[in-house]
Amino acid sequence: MPDAANAATARDGRGEAPIAVSVRHVNMVYNGQHAVKDASFDLPKGNFLTILGPSGSGKTTLLRMIAGFGAPTSGNIVINGRAVGAVPPHRRSIGMVFQKLALFPHMTAAENVAFPLKMRRRDARTIPDKVERYLNLVRLGGLGDRRIHQLSGGQQQRVAIARALVFEPDLLLLDEPLAALDRKLREEMQLEFRRIQRELGVTTINVTHDQREALVVSDEIIVMDKGEIQQKAQPTETYRQPNNPFVANFIGVTNFLQGKALSFEAEGEVRFLHGDVVLRGRAGSAAASLGNGREVRGALRAEQIRIAAEEAALTGLDTVVSGEVEDAIFEGERVVYEISVPALDGAILRVFDHDVVGHTQFEAGRRVFLGWTVKDVLVFAG
Amino acid sequence: MSGNRGKTIVLWIFVIFGLVMLSAPTLVVLGASFTSGNIITFPPDGFSLKWYAKIAGASDLRGAFLRSLVVASICTVIAVPAGTLAGIALSKYAVRMEKTIQVYLLLPFTIPLIGSGIGLMLVLGNAGMLGQLWPVGLACCVINLPFMIWAVTASASGLDPDLELAAANLGAPPLQTFLHVTLPAVTPGIITGALLMFILALNEFLVSLLLVDARIVTLPVQIYNSIRSIITPDLAAISVVFIACAAAAIFLLDRLVGLDIFLKSK
Repeated sequence: MPDAANAATARDGRGEAPIAVSVRHVNMVYNGQHAVKDASFDLPKGNFLTILGPSGSGKTTLLRMIAGFGAPTSGNIVINGRAVGAVPPHRRSIGMVFQKLALFPHMTAAENVAFPLKMRRRDARTIPDKVERYLNLVRLGGLGDRRIHQLSGGQQQRVAIARALVFEPDLLLLDEPLAALDRKLREEMQLEFRRIQRELGVTTINVTHDQREALVVSDEIIVMDKGEIQQKAQPTETYRQPNNPFVANFIGVTNFLQGKALSFEAEGEVRFLHGDVVLRGRAGSAAASLGNGREVRGALRAEQIRIAAEEAALTGLDTVVSGEVEDAIFEGERVVYEISVPALDGAILRVFDHDVVGHTQFEAGRRVFLGWTVKDVLVFAG
Repeated sequence: MSGNRGKTIVLWIFVIFGLVMLSAPTLVVLGASFTSGNIITFPPDGFSLKWYAKIAGASDLRGAFLRSLVVASICTVIAVPAGTLAGIALSKYAVRMEKTIQVYLLLPFTIPLIGSGIGLMLVLGNAGMLGQLWPVGLACCVINLPFMIWAVTASASGLDPDLELAAANLGAPPLQTFLHVTLPAVTPGIITGALLMFILALNEFLVSLLLVDARIVTLPVQIYNSIRSIITPDLAAISVVFIACAAAAIFLLDRLVGLDIFLKSK
């Protein structure tokens, strides 16, 4: 997996991983609305990139432009060094797995997989072998003669993957193909995508609104909102160092504490006033814009807040407040609390608790103590 | 409880009444065709197949029937490509003035047949094309084309647009995409439409009446001409042959595409 520094050198054309896809200042305007606004990114060969965003964020529009279904209003898309603006979809070497799979219903599984080879006029004698090899790769060996409707949802997924890969495309596009599956099958298929992608080393762009899927499968994640790229980073960085409140809120469960910036300390620490309380956090990106007296927002992940019955159990934490349990939701592996904190103007904080030893669950109405450290609070302008 | 039973009885009365009314003409003709008497009556007077033997031997009826088959075939051959392409275009693409075109294509429905018949007679007559069979087939195609378009549209609107994008993505140029993906997907609609067109053209009376002359009468016109002289049971027998043709088409439809697709399309 190339790290960030590696990708940077690759961008200069000197690194070992050349750029497979380069999107440059791409805009897509529908009826005066920007579906995609000034999107730019580079994707090194062999990488698994996920474009993550809510519906209407422009992620699918961007993916379809890369596939050649609709030309950008302005900007360039370069695949393997070739600008593809004028290249129709059937001349691009791109495999795509569609949201609704788009398998040909009148063909068998094997005929579906053979289709791209026939269309590309590959040597007819080699086709059956190749089809079988790819059906085996997706673990469908022996099911090639089945009609599409005779296969289960998961098996159909696998046919679609084999069909998109069998002609050895330069690029694999996944347009939320897992969205319709139930959770268990979805998680199984996520790992399957990851396995196949690693096995073949094919450059992949995956589009999803499922933050968990993005974290699980990707080398890198692009978060999009309202047509604009919000952040491009590796999964851990996206989660731990979100660029802005949108990313912090979209991935994970985050509490926001509104306030006014008071002062800036050493090592990026920010003090801000929330109601009458001085809170401390570390500056998120664009710290320079957090001038004194500006409105700021502190982002605090639900799982970073520790909860205890006694204040003494939270010594060593930078901030400790008391609150009252409003609601406690048992989710199996964890308990989700909603806790109102009088010291924070009655703000309701969401807290995840994994009490693996005591299996304690605080009842609604119970007085509890919450604590966190300075580095748990990421401060954004806002 | 008794209210429920009353409702059931009333419903059944309606259902039986409806079924009897719908099937009565067919049953009467069917029965009358087997009469052994010399006049057309129901219930039939005895049982015989002599009227079937008579129509089988009547060269004018046989000739008219063959001509009707030719007309129906010509109509179908023209309607299949025209209706298929129009149906696909209307359902799949954002055609300019789509609504206008749709209304125009449905127009033959709204004009009384006698009106379109006279129009076609004038046009074809001026072009000097009357007295042949193929203009009759063409005319049948013109007035019935909405059925063909409707059948194809019903099929094509259920077609996932991503299927064609997928084909392009997999390397198929537009023509290959059409042949390998679009056409197979609308085939049930094409079969349905083709059989409908064939049956409608086979049965077509009014427009044919205006377009044929004594040398090329089609079967419905021939029957009509016979009625004007004397009504004999051979007309019932020939009607049964007609009904059998329609039944065969329905059977074929069920075999090829399944009747459910025909019944559930809008």
